[in-house]
Amino acid sequence: MADLLAVGILFAAVALAGVAATASNKSVIPFYIVVGMVLSPSVAGEFTVGGYGLPVIESSEFIDIGAELGIVFLLFFLGLEFNLDRLLASKERIGAVGAIDLVINFGAGLLLGFALFRDPLAAFLVAGIVYISSSAIITKSLIDLGWIANDEADPMLGTLVFEDLFIAVYLTVAAALVTGGSDVTAAVTSVGIALAFIVGLLALAHYGTPWFERALQTTSNEYTVLRAIGITVLISGVALAIGVSEAVAAFFVGMAFAPTSHTHDLENLLEPVRDTFAAVFFFWIGLETDPRLFAGVAGLVAVAAVVTTPTKLISGYLGGRAYDLNPRRSIRVGLGMVTRGEFSLIIAAVAVTGAGTSLSAEMANTIYAFTVAYVLVMSILGTVLMQYSAPFERFAVERFGDSA
Amino acid sequence: MDVKESDLPGVGKKHEVDIGNGEQLVIVTHNTGNRELYLKESDDADSEKLVELSDRMARMVGTILEGAYFQPVSSDHVETMLTEGTLLEWYAVEEDSPLVGETLVSANVGQRTGVTVIAIQRDGEVISGPAPTTTIAAGDTLVVVGERESCEAFEDLLTGDL
Repeated sequence: MADLLAVGILFAAVALAGVAATASNKSVIPFYIVVGMVLSPSVAGEFTVGGYGLPVIESSEFIDIGAELGIVFLLFFLGLEFNLDRLLASKERIGAVGAIDLVINFGAGLLLGFALFRDPLAAFLVAGIVYISSSAIITKSLIDLGWIANDEADPMLGTLVFEDLFIAVYLTVAAALVTGGSDVTAAVTSVGIALAFIVGLLALAHYGTPWFERALQTTSNEYTVLRAIGITVLISGVALAIGVSEAVAAFFVGMAFAPTSHTHDLENLLEPVRDTFAAVFFFWIGLETDPRLFAGVAGLVAVAAVVTTPTKLISGYLGGRAYDLNPRRSIRVGLGMVTRGEFSLIIAAVAVTGAGTSLSAEMANTIYAFTVAYVLVMSILGTVLMQYSAPFERFAVERFGDSA
Repeated sequence: MDVKESDLPGVGKKHEVDIGNGEQLVIVTHNTGNRELYLKESDDADSEKLVELSDRMARMVGTILEGAYFQPVSSDHVETMLTEGTLLEWYAVEEDSPLVGETLVSANVGQRTGVTVIAIQRDGEVISGPAPTTTIAAGDTLVVVGERESCEAFEDLLTGDL
């Protein structure tokens, strides 16, 4: 199919996915993924309707790069909204909820991953996948449900801030381990290079503020957008070229822009850019997924869902208590944190790059299919749990009382 | 009045305003500029969304609340804080006020109280920067700037409560 037509179908399809999500009052991310799956050769290519083939979108360079840009902009925004001073100002509380969340969920993930795959690297990847909650979906649900104005929003957003910082470090290590292969020396070297690059970026973020401030000094929105994209994508590209996670590089570039006076403008101007490419990323995730593999991973996903829903409920509940919330609000924190999304998928995208080197091709593909199915389940489950939180709240009040 | 400000990472800022009776007005300001207003009936209650305003609407509503469009003169006086300690106040002149018939000079307002009368509202019109010889009449509303103590002194002078 002609390329422009394929891209047109892609964007029309994700736009329709948005319509469906709005109509059903659900998060849009699973819809993007499903639409990508439906239009992939492994689904649409297999069916004909009345003698006509459905439109099939082959994976193309444009979609691959678009998805890559989606990752870059998602992480760039994370960095942009990440405020180190803010974190330090409430470091005790955020540190407490973050540590509870990390120990319980990353710990459970490690055990689960090892039990399922019998491989340390796979266990490390699964731990990240089940640990990281979805900032995008949770924040949106908080706003939709009006919880944003309640006290439970504080520990939830606090936990997300901690997770975001952790995931930046985690992705650095994960990407290096996956590309480094099974050779220990090579793995150590690539982790070393990655960490050195990150330290360099941190220094840039810390000392480069005046330069970043001047770099965007223009009255034209056009130039602001182009300069910001130019800087971000260039640095991310350099990172990827030397074998460091482009996502992490984008995170630190975002962090470097955060203290400048342009943050607010950048958020407004680049939000549509991010959303466009993020949709391509989720579509690409679906496109790369062969739903036939779902049958093989259904058991794994069921086990993971059964294990990692309660772990988030517990860590969220304890986090809420650490913020001096009463049991009713604390259980809401737990329910909200169940949602997994974009970052789990980014880790899965890292995992497939190791197919045939650090992970066996079969294991890499299994982890990938597992993650996609897991995110589809958990993103819907998490939003539904938040929408129907009342019975859980009653249970918490009956079990733990009503006082903070 | 108690106002609590907190950050909502990735969303914006939250202000919780204590409006008495244990009720709180919660204002969520999104990074996009939109404002959401919630009412929280008690500390333990869930916030109920009242209204969502665009940045422009919010500013307009804000100026109305502040009284910049319309001052309800029926109340004795309304105060607005210009800076810490400096007030902008509106005073209604009653029939029995000792200042009725006096001018700003003859009443020696500035010397005696320390305030400056910056405008007089009379019959729906505003005399801004009134001349010192302007005569004060019953039914006027005097717009006054001064320190809090000066404003209190002026109120005493106006009501003859010396």
